[in-house]
Amino acid sequence: MKRRALLVLVALVWLFPYLWMGLTSLKPLDEIIHAPTALLPQHPTLDAYREVLGTLPLARYFLNTSVMALSIAALQIALALPAGYALAKLRFRGKRWAFALIVSTLLIPAQVRFVPVFSMLAGAHLVNTLSGLILPFGVSALGTFMIRQALTNVPDSQIEAARIDGASELYIIYRLLAPLLTPTLVALFLFSFISHWNDYFWPLVLTTDEHARTLPLAIALLREQGTGVRWHIVMAGNVILSLPALAVFAAAQRHLLRAVTLRGFGG
Amino acid sequence: MKPSRRTDPYWMLLPTLLFLFVFFLYPLGMLIKQSFFSWDLLTDARYVGLGNYRALLRSGELWHTFVTTLSMSSAVVLGSMAAGLGLALLLDRPGRWAAFIRGAVFSAYVVSWVSVALLFLWLLDADSGILSGIWRALCGGRAPNWLGDPKLAPWAVAGVSVWKITGYALVIFLSGLQDVPASVLEAAELDGASPVARFRNVTWPLLRPTTLFVATTSLIASFQLFDVVRVMTQGGPVRSTTVFVYAVYEQLFLDLRVGRASAEAVVFFLVLLALTGAQFLLFRSSEAA
Amino acid sequence: MIPRRDFLGASALAAASWVGACTTDAAPRGRVPVSLWFSYGGTNREVLEGLVRRFNARQSQDYVQAVYQGDYFEGLAKLRTAIAAGCAPTLSHVVGEVVPYLAEAQVLERLAAYPGVREPDVIPELGQERSWLGGGARPLVALPFNRSTPIAYLNADLFAEAGLSAPRTWTELRAAAQRLTQPNTRFGFGCPINWWFWVALVGQAGGRVVAENGRISLGNEAGVEALSLWQDLVKRGFMKPPPGRDYNAWEQCNQDFLSGRAAMIWSSTAFLKYLEQHANFRVLAAPLPAFRQRAVPTGGTFWVVLRAAQAEHKAAATRFLRFMLEPEQVIEWSSRTGYIPVTRGAVNELTRRGYYVAHPNDAVALEQLSVADPWPWSVDLFRLQREIVQPRLESAVIEGRDARVVLTEARRLAAEPA
Repeated sequence: MKRRALLVLVALVWLFPYLWMGLTSLKPLDEIIHAPTALLPQHPTLDAYREVLGTLPLARYFLNTSVMALSIAALQIALALPAGYALAKLRFRGKRWAFALIVSTLLIPAQVRFVPVFSMLAGAHLVNTLSGLILPFGVSALGTFMIRQALTNVPDSQIEAARIDGASELYIIYRLLAPLLTPTLVALFLFSFISHWNDYFWPLVLTTDEHARTLPLAIALLREQGTGVRWHIVMAGNVILSLPALAVFAAAQRHLLRAVTLRGFGG
Repeated sequence: MKPSRRTDPYWMLLPTLLFLFVFFLYPLGMLIKQSFFSWDLLTDARYVGLGNYRALLRSGELWHTFVTTLSMSSAVVLGSMAAGLGLALLLDRPGRWAAFIRGAVFSAYVVSWVSVALLFLWLLDADSGILSGIWRALCGGRAPNWLGDPKLAPWAVAGVSVWKITGYALVIFLSGLQDVPASVLEAAELDGASPVARFRNVTWPLLRPTTLFVATTSLIASFQLFDVVRVMTQGGPVRSTTVFVYAVYEQLFLDLRVGRASAEAVVFFLVLLALTGAQFLLFRSSEAA
Repeated sequence: MIPRRDFLGASALAAASWVGACTTDAAPRGRVPVSLWFSYGGTNREVLEGLVRRFNARQSQDYVQAVYQGDYFEGLAKLRTAIAAGCAPTLSHVVGEVVPYLAEAQVLERLAAYPGVREPDVIPELGQERSWLGGGARPLVALPFNRSTPIAYLNADLFAEAGLSAPRTWTELRAAAQRLTQPNTRFGFGCPINWWFWVALVGQAGGRVVAENGRISLGNEAGVEALSLWQDLVKRGFMKPPPGRDYNAWEQCNQDFLSGRAAMIWSSTAFLKYLEQHANFRVLAAPLPAFRQRAVPTGGTFWVVLRAAQAEHKAAATRFLRFMLEPEQVIEWSSRTGYIPVTRGAVNELTRRGYYVAHPNDAVALEQLSVADPWPWSVDLFRLQREIVQPRLESAVIEGRDARVVLTEARRLAAEPA
């Protein structure tokens, strides 16, 4: 019995905030101002959603965010496969150096790099462009490392057999080995996609207008100054922002859990 | 294996190394260089030697930022680990309810920081927030000003972060619990060991590497807290939530002091490096043990 | 499981497109595009966007595109970053405190040479001429847009109940705050712990933040008196220091007033319409009280044209500004928001229509212009405000640090080179 009460409490702590977000988004402004803690809206309305959808170019934000996150995830995997393959399977001069270099960049987070990367991108006129959002994250040292680890488990004989059949190295990497790594790649892809879809820091730094603005940024901007806090609007925007993440989560929970544990233990 | 052509490994690595050079190593070099200049992006840069570092040290800003970051991160790490471990023990069983609650806790880890920050900004609103409403109903009087009191704000923000990342600790601990052999636990139970004793003598020692791992990864991650501070408190009140990344951001974008921002970022990098080094050493010693 | 080719396709697409362009020019063919960055939400945003639409519809030569950039500080951060990155818009509006810095950094277009921009009709206290000491002698770079002064908002029902009238002196302010406070449910007084209101207090105590000779004095003794007034009211529980930084604190303060948790607040005249519309009691606006004298700073923003923009776009931007300074637009903007009408023509027209008789609250800020203090023309003003003074005001009021000590510290830091 005590255990059950505890479970209910845990569920409440983690689910009530979402519920409150939904309820708030259905309240009209007067209720927000005069009865902010009333549990249920007296006169539920979808006005807040109408306002968010009507005033923000949400389609544009959605597109920007999706293209950015998809491109980053795809680019990271596309580039990590050959690099991981070379490091896992091939003998060559300078291998230890290359490997050390890649691993050492794990220590340089985006928050340290952003000052000079920003001035660099400004020099290249890439501020406020999708390319500017994507390129700095084009390579994931962690992804390269994990793919290398996964590839060490693939027997050499398989690769040699393909070579004897006349397969090119590109074919071996993308057509033979990549399918073998599907679980790792799915996990990497999901992890990278979600973390960049949610990213606030870099788009905040790099975007200056609607052109490349992403969804989390736009929703955070809903806390507009000048007319008092309009929480119903902010919460409606927040529902729009978090629903896709929760949907992806519901659909791919298994893969995501794998992604976290996999990332956790370095493959 | 021997590459088919001698040049193969090099072109395979070229894109990766190129990216890493352009977006990681070169920026790090630039950062160090810029930290010796005074520059506002708009007018000419001026060489100031160690002036930026000195100014940061003398104003006490560096120390203050470091202490704030360290105490908030420690709270986040300890809180999320305790909650994660407790929940893992509670939820490590089959059944739809346990799975549902595991999902609920983990979902917060998947939702963006911005969502969570906006949500809790509203929940924690000093007067209109539902939490204050509950407080007033239960305790009467005025509810604490969670985000407005410099003594409370860092812990409120840390608490929100705990809510957000407990799912991570939970998942890792759950997978760590898979490594605790059921047979050992059953044997202990047959020997008449109480649940507490079983946890202390069997589960906990076997979870040690997992614990260490969660602790260090989440410490390094929480040193990089930014979104939640930017959205909820903008580093205030009275700079009480100004963590490293926010301080660098503020220096650069709000105050346009590129040099001082760079100097602060260099220090931040060194701190992270030290933390990672400590993590590495801890792992080595725990593996040796 | 993953369609690899699709990813590669997507990343190639992303690499090929979306490169280079800094800002979007979605202007219809043949019209001169003017990108405008603004920092308002809610009603202000609606009104501004309505005026922009009107401009675009009434003529076919120019086309203004308005983009929201977050609050003033966020917008300003974006603007400065964009200037540095060569991505600046044609037109933006910025807070007065930052105009000297931007002007001295040579990033603002000089406006005098553009036809019709000379400001004969602008109310001097609201224009460049008297918003800054010696502003009239400098090349014209800023035109007024949304201009304000701090005013007091009173919950008229509570004041009537207590038989009080609007405080005219600090002493009356203290007394009213005490009388109207009810422990645990209501504060007599609320005010954001913010530089702007502190500057008002310093002026009322007879001081100046920057002395005539350009030295940063922070009002010396007057600065301490100003800060002590807040500290005293907060310590005795008559005043609520609202939480949050920058505009969060302002909004919190407005909420306190609307919900009856504060009987009287200081805020900007900008919120007049919002507070009137959402209060379920009578709202009375009143001028700020006097101590040794009456004084208020002015606030709000000025239009600036960015020098880096193309000549053709800049000319179009000034045509838009000319339109915005016509009485019709000035009247619409001010009467729907609460900001002060910035031209004499608009004020005369409103007076003629009997607007101020019908809306006495609207006249308060306008009347206060007679005691408005100009800002110093100082490139450090913005840093002084954000980096040096603001955090120390919070620290003194919220953490109870000694007023004299924090202001001495601030003066010392202000004297150091940037």
